[in-house]
Amino acid sequence: MEILMTVSRIASICTMGANASALEKEIGPEQFPVNEHYFGLVNFGNTCYCNSVLQALYFCRPFREKVLAYKSQPRKKENLLTCLADLFHSIATQKKKVGVIPPKKFITRLRKENELFDNYMQQDAHEFLNYLLNTIADILQEERKQEKQNGRIPNGNIDNENNNSAPDPTWVHEIFQGTLTNETRCLTCETISSKDEDFLDLSVDVEQNTSITHCLRGFSNTETLCSEYKYYCEECRSKQEAHKRMKVKKLPMILALHLKRFKYMDQLHRYTKLSYRVVFPLELRLFNTSGDATNPERMYDLVAVVVHCGSGPNRGHYIAIVKSHDFWLLFDDDIVEKIDAQAIEEFYGLTSDISKNSESGYILFYQSRD
Amino acid sequence: MAAEGGGKEMNEIKTQFTTREGLYKLLSHSEYSRPNRVPFNSQGSNPVKVSFVNVNDQSGNGDRICFNVGRELYFYIYKGVRKAADLSKPIDKRIYKGTQPTCHDFNHLTATAESVSLLVGFSAGQVQLIDPIKKETSKLFNEERLIDKSRVTCVKWVPGSESLFLVAHSSGNMYLYNVEHTCGTTAPHYQLLKQGESFAVHTCKSKSTRNPLLKWTVGEGALNEFAFSPDGKFLACVSQDGFLRVFNFDSVELHGTMKSYFGGLLCVCWSPDGKYIVTGGEDDLVTVWSFVDCRVIARGQGHKSWVSVVAFDPNTTSVEETDPMEFSGSDEDFQELISFGRDRANSTQSRLSKRNSTDSRPVSVTYRFGSVGQDTQLCLWDLTEDILFPHQPLSRTRTHTNVMNATSPPAGSGPANPGSNGNSITTPGNTIPPPLPRSNSLPHSAVSNTGSKSSVDSAIASGVSKFATLSIHDRKERHHDKDHKRNHSMGHISSKSSDKLNLVTKNKTDPAKTLGTALCPRMEDVPLLEPLICKKIAHERLTVLIFLEDCIVTACQEGFICTWARPGKVGLLSSQNQANSPSGTVV
Repeated sequence: MEILMTVSRIASICTMGANASALEKEIGPEQFPVNEHYFGLVNFGNTCYCNSVLQALYFCRPFREKVLAYKSQPRKKENLLTCLADLFHSIATQKKKVGVIPPKKFITRLRKENELFDNYMQQDAHEFLNYLLNTIADILQEERKQEKQNGRIPNGNIDNENNNSAPDPTWVHEIFQGTLTNETRCLTCETISSKDEDFLDLSVDVEQNTSITHCLRGFSNTETLCSEYKYYCEECRSKQEAHKRMKVKKLPMILALHLKRFKYMDQLHRYTKLSYRVVFPLELRLFNTSGDATNPERMYDLVAVVVHCGSGPNRGHYIAIVKSHDFWLLFDDDIVEKIDAQAIEEFYGLTSDISKNSESGYILFYQSRD
Repeated sequence: MAAEGGGKEMNEIKTQFTTREGLYKLLSHSEYSRPNRVPFNSQGSNPVKVSFVNVNDQSGNGDRICFNVGRELYFYIYKGVRKAADLSKPIDKRIYKGTQPTCHDFNHLTATAESVSLLVGFSAGQVQLIDPIKKETSKLFNEERLIDKSRVTCVKWVPGSESLFLVAHSSGNMYLYNVEHTCGTTAPHYQLLKQGESFAVHTCKSKSTRNPLLKWTVGEGALNEFAFSPDGKFLACVSQDGFLRVFNFDSVELHGTMKSYFGGLLCVCWSPDGKYIVTGGEDDLVTVWSFVDCRVIARGQGHKSWVSVVAFDPNTTSVEETDPMEFSGSDEDFQELISFGRDRANSTQSRLSKRNSTDSRPVSVTYRFGSVGQDTQLCLWDLTEDILFPHQPLSRTRTHTNVMNATSPPAGSGPANPGSNGNSITTPGNTIPPPLPRSNSLPHSAVSNTGSKSSVDSAIASGVSKFATLSIHDRKERHHDKDHKRNHSMGHISSKSSDKLNLVTKNKTDPAKTLGTALCPRMEDVPLLEPLICKKIAHERLTVLIFLEDCIVTACQEGFICTWARPGKVGLLSSQNQANSPSGTVV
């Protein structure tokens, strides 16, 4: 497998020159955005789950800018974030506009830090995204704590009354974090209690021939808590049947939507892929917002999609399609292609239930317009 | 939720449904498809479309059907509810190479038993004029693709004309052709005729008259569909940029615009009297827009995915309660209704307006329209007078009910419609656990029929109060309308460009400028309709919905064209069906 991979890598590096310049030609010198670089990422043995997410995040502009800004801060001990910053910086400062970069340092670090990713197996891109965002947030919070202990609080920005409660939000939270409100209505006394919880992305169930809008509605559908799942009502002081639903209370700047396409099949003792056709528009608003939401009508634009190709979570391939300026690009490891916006419909999924093998949208990144 | 194994039964395909007029029944023997009846593998191909024409022969079998499946185009005698379809003998069949048929339209004025004029648009941009009865290919337009290389999205004869036709492309352009003219051997040179907010019309500069006569550039992105008003004077266009734009076709002036809640608009249709336009799109909604007032009067929520076709049902649209079958009183055919729509629509219109102007209380009016979508569902909607003519709102502030309306999932049509209750079929793919609709009845009853008045009233009440507070803004908006909405367009463009150049922090002004204005009211500011019925009727995305006099015709991406007999129109054929056909399923 290693050998095969190396061969294919050599082959791809050989063709890469022609491919890269073709992309530059296709976009055209006039249209090529200033200060923009389109660089494929070399695959280090089933690291496409990582490459696709990194490309998608690179084209989430608020995220990219924060990572690059982090890079310009004083040198720190190597961690996953410094490796990511180096990688983004390396892409952003390339002389050439197009090409290929090996994300070697980042992958090495990732494998060192988390044994889950320390192998040549295909990993789940959503798991990786989750891990990456949480790790970055942890690193930032840890650094802030260090700074505070050293008495170097930047800008004298001291409004830390809630110091003892939740840690301050980092820029990862500012970009990706939204709030869900979990409303529970006791069916006996009709009292509604609500509890808020934060999220960095939303995982939604998928159904055949639906839209992401419908999947989001399904996410917020009312559940009835009954029998062994009864709800302890503070008013009634006993377990009661209740209605529960989750609505979005605070809409994030970047809304990351994870389509739950991998489903565990009890009979088969393994995961299978739901290749259902789930359409996603380029423009999105949410219907499943709570009555007291602060910005319920935020308009979102699709900026990136991580696509899973194949039939199961541990096989197949990941690619990313991203919007850059006015056009769409497809990143398939080291290959970068310009695609037509209309070609996105090829990644909605399949209407036939027979085939599990599909190239279908797996993580959608919507960026708020305000 | 996931339709694996056990979920299949829940996603059962309906072969009949009931509304207050009665039972609609699928006639499985009247199914049209490719002769081999094999489902077409539709992944990534163009939508299946259907066109009808009546050739006015004396036999009473004058209906003809044309449909495209993949790269094939078929032309059959359409027997509708009367007789089973005979697929072995298409009158004409064509297979195309390198380019696929995407849409077609018959000229109803010139159709005879010996000859019909059928326009066919193609995926590579060409347009063909063919006669499937004479089996001739008369003419090719844009053959060298010098006029437009992009996919033809919609082709239609200009109403009342035997030679003019309009072709829309995914490039966002639309061209007016005359069958008598050639397309020239060079790319056309254009001269600006008229320009307005987000549209421009050019004439073709040439010594001799050639095609295209006019080039319309409308909005940004693909022009997905257009529809002429029943009187032929106005043209409604829907685009991928999410805008409905209504033009006066002859004077080339923008009459009004509307923006989807989000995403592209995919389909558009006119009410038979030309007073309302309905659109469907990527927000999973149907939106009802008043042509006279240039504003959204209602939205409808029921589809689980994008809405691909909307159409009014002229036979169930009634103008007065005492005379509920305004259109069905005559024996005229659907085709005639379209081609001579001008007179009929005008008469309806004048009647309506007369009543409105003289009576303080509006007449009893109900418009019926339908929609089909990528969710494989058919929805029927009633537009009733409380929506059309909201009377003085009760002094009620916006209630939480309303918010729940806007955000809670459709509870299925069961409780809302006693007819479908009797049907005992749950809404397919309903993700809500069965006990929910009942127990959740508080919010939901507001949208069901019994409580619909209060729901609508409160919605309108909030709408009115909103409008009242925003009245200055509103007026300003209208003013822009007349000024081609210069400011507005600038705002739109600047917000877009700043979005793409820089982000979030830079653009602090409200970016979705249209929201809350007449262009795109907030969800809670307009009544939210619930479908009368909402049924899964196919395995594949639905692409066709046509209301004929005695049936409804639907088609899906697999290439099956289904005939649903209207109540009382199920004749001999259907009783045979019941005897012979074991399941009556579509596929």
